[in-house]
Amino acid sequence: MQAEAIEYIRFGVISPDSIKKVSVAKLTVPDTYNEDGYPIDGGLLDQRLGVIDPGLVCKTCGARAKTCPGHFGHIELVRPVVHSEFAKTIYMILQATCLECHRILMDDERIEEMRKSLAEESESEEAQHGPQQKRIRNVKKCPHCEAPTAKIKLSSPTYFTADERRMKPDEIRDILAKISSDDLRLINIDPTITRPEWMVLSYLLAPPSSVRPSITLESGERSEDDLTHKLVDIMRINQRLDQNINAGAPQIIIDDLWELLQYHVTAYFNNETSGIPPARHRSGRALKTLAQRLKGKEGRFRYNLSGKRVNYSARTVISVDPYINIDEVGVPQEIAEKLTVPFYVTTWNLEYAKDLLSRTSYPMVLNIISRDGKRKRIIDTNKDEVLKGVVAGDILEKQLVDGDMVLFNRQPSLHRISIMAHKAKVLPGKTFRINYCTTAPYNADFDGDEMNLHVPQTLEAQAEARYLMLVPYQIFSPRDGSAIITNSEDGITGMYNLTKETTYLTNAEASYLLGICGIYELPKQGKAGMYSGRDVFSMILPKGLGYEQQTAHGPFRIKNGRLAEGLITKETYGRDNGLFVKIAMDYGYEELKDFIYISSKLADAYVTLCGTTVGVKEYSIDKKLEDERSIIITETFSKVSKLIDDYRNKKLEPLIGYTLKESLERIIISELNAARSHAGDVLARHEDETNSAVEMAKSGSRGSILNLEQMSMFLGQQATLSGGRIKRGYYSNRLLPHIAPNNIGPAARGFIVTSYYSGLSPVDLFMHAVGSRGSEVYKALLTGRSGYLYRRLSNALQDYYVRDDKSVRDVNNNIIQTVYGGDTISPIYTQFAKLSKE
Amino acid sequence: MAGKRGDHEYVPVHDIVDGKELRTFLEERKLKVENLPKIFSTDPQAVKLGAKEGQVIRVKRNDHSNEYLYYRLVIK
Repeated sequence: MQAEAIEYIRFGVISPDSIKKVSVAKLTVPDTYNEDGYPIDGGLLDQRLGVIDPGLVCKTCGARAKTCPGHFGHIELVRPVVHSEFAKTIYMILQATCLECHRILMDDERIEEMRKSLAEESESEEAQHGPQQKRIRNVKKCPHCEAPTAKIKLSSPTYFTADERRMKPDEIRDILAKISSDDLRLINIDPTITRPEWMVLSYLLAPPSSVRPSITLESGERSEDDLTHKLVDIMRINQRLDQNINAGAPQIIIDDLWELLQYHVTAYFNNETSGIPPARHRSGRALKTLAQRLKGKEGRFRYNLSGKRVNYSARTVISVDPYINIDEVGVPQEIAEKLTVPFYVTTWNLEYAKDLLSRTSYPMVLNIISRDGKRKRIIDTNKDEVLKGVVAGDILEKQLVDGDMVLFNRQPSLHRISIMAHKAKVLPGKTFRINYCTTAPYNADFDGDEMNLHVPQTLEAQAEARYLMLVPYQIFSPRDGSAIITNSEDGITGMYNLTKETTYLTNAEASYLLGICGIYELPKQGKAGMYSGRDVFSMILPKGLGYEQQTAHGPFRIKNGRLAEGLITKETYGRDNGLFVKIAMDYGYEELKDFIYISSKLADAYVTLCGTTVGVKEYSIDKKLEDERSIIITETFSKVSKLIDDYRNKKLEPLIGYTLKESLERIIISELNAARSHAGDVLARHEDETNSAVEMAKSGSRGSILNLEQMSMFLGQQATLSGGRIKRGYYSNRLLPHIAPNNIGPAARGFIVTSYYSGLSPVDLFMHAVGSRGSEVYKALLTGRSGYLYRRLSNALQDYYVRDDKSVRDVNNNIIQTVYGGDTISPIYTQFAKLSKE
Repeated sequence: MAGKRGDHEYVPVHDIVDGKELRTFLEERKLKVENLPKIFSTDPQAVKLGAKEGQVIRVKRNDHSNEYLYYRLVIK
């Protein structure tokens, strides 16, 4: 985005003179059309305001409906009314001025002081005004004429009183008009742009008819816009008020009508003004007046200016297809037949273009755009004619086919990988299909999620999509360079099982697995005519790959495209790994993409073949473990009670920087946490590979040892939001009536010794609920807050870019950072940088 | 408490930059002085150096493993 620097924008209040200047017609008749259906002169759709009916000519500019921009008119109000949106401002000004001498309620000394500070520090003006206003409000006597100040009150929306006496709009206007320009500057109003008396309306600007067009219904009846309705109301009351004044009606009647006029003008500006009943349509629907047109989600700003709608897009439910590649998207036939891709006819592809045009079934050409930009739909009757007329320079709109570049998006689009380019693959069915490896960047699942698809319409857009946005280029996350497009869960389990040293497959099994991957040769035979799982896995590795990594399961080694040692786990395959980076560096993103795809197919096939399951059995523990658990608990409890005794006998050593009480609490917490991690270790040591829950935790496919431990050993300490132990709940410093007062032992403060498997006692359940509620509330607050924080950040940073000299600039060429990130390395490539350093 | 104001070990080294170095920096990048990030003359570092409005301060920043230079225009 290249922006011209805007020096400043100045907002002010329009003056009656300006209104008369821009107005082309004084409107006098509170009606729209006469009996002949012709606009009334001086009415609300006067032809001088522009024309909306085709065929008529604008009396101001002489243009017709399409070209006439519309012109403003005006209404002369026989009695002035307060502009309701400025009521607060008027209130503020009235409070700050003397009603007798119309000076500002500050003595000369302070005025001088203000003036000086305003001249010096124009920026902190606003900071000055708050306290000044407060001081002025407490002034009892005008410092200039000694007159006592009146107590001004504003009851919304527009009713002013001074010392309980009603102030009518004309009186307010006269007071405001008499404030000197010099005084206005002191209350932050620039008198060259805005005079306060302009906030009381004597003339009302009537928008052009094109702003409030009337609609002709099928029955031939006209239906007027809400704004026109409101303007009619205003003019009607205005006329009646005029008649009554001229007829010398009693003051009460005039005042009533005047107030009614005020109401209508208020509703005209904002029909949701507090303190007035919203003006309603005959049907009972509230009118949409000026403010309603602009405000809110459906207002002009958010709906029409920030929100634009597009063509060449489709939306439907998504579902999985593990048999399409990760850079593909399955597009329903029905959608593919409606979406089009432009085909640019040149002298070199003219024959091909003619072949395309003459097709009668999918994929065929739907429209032709001739060189003069006219779009013509191709139907059977004009096909021959079009076929004869097609020349280089025409554009054919051809139905979407396999391989076309499309953009795929899921809302909320929180980061750039919420929109990626995919290659279309036309499939039967009614849903978009994606490979599950690409669900992570979209944060999608298949419980009814819908996604949007867009077809780039220029060659440039297609090229950008292909070379910048295509799925393979998005495999590494811009957050930290870890892989975000990757296999997970059962897929990891499959590869983990396959690459175990003990895994051997029969010829039939190996052939089946590799066949699914599209590999039609076998690795060399191992012992007893069997094929080792590692050798089978090695078949899908890129030829000649070399890679080494130390893992929690020992070394992981790939030598010359063969898995020599080690297991596939989340550590080696998945988010935090060097393997993907190595493949991307040595073979490119395309190869990496295919590796992910094929390995996911292999993993799925193998995990289906050997099966994996989890049941309660996985979480039951034997006598030996139960004993170990009791030992850990009793030991911990006795340790803690000793700590508490020490504390009570003042023998406890306080920690540096903490009071004795805090120290006790901290030591207890660390003791309890140690107990839990100890239990986890015991569990991990005790359980073997036949326990599939442990297997899942170890391979990193799902769950952790902590989860297991909470289910089979004990839940451990339930923490509050602040991270401390739970301590409040019941009175006398205890959590529940079941707990003795002043008991600060583990069980009394939310340490749970039972597990999900054994079941929680009522007290334990309560403690657990306290913890759960805390984390649930925290989660809800955190997501909202961090989401908004992220949005503000990304909006603030969105137009920054990195120049060829590696500096970060904004659109005005300002330097944001001289060296991008301090080291020129994009987070996406942090893993690359690490690997190439080694 | 040891050290003067603006003398913490976490604060990177600030210097007032001379005309020649600044000129080459700006010319190489086709920049105007106003395009540089700003620093208030009341900033502790600017106060310490006695920098005047319009001068440029060079910051030796040390992010991650790389050292690089950062230039800031002194404003009021």
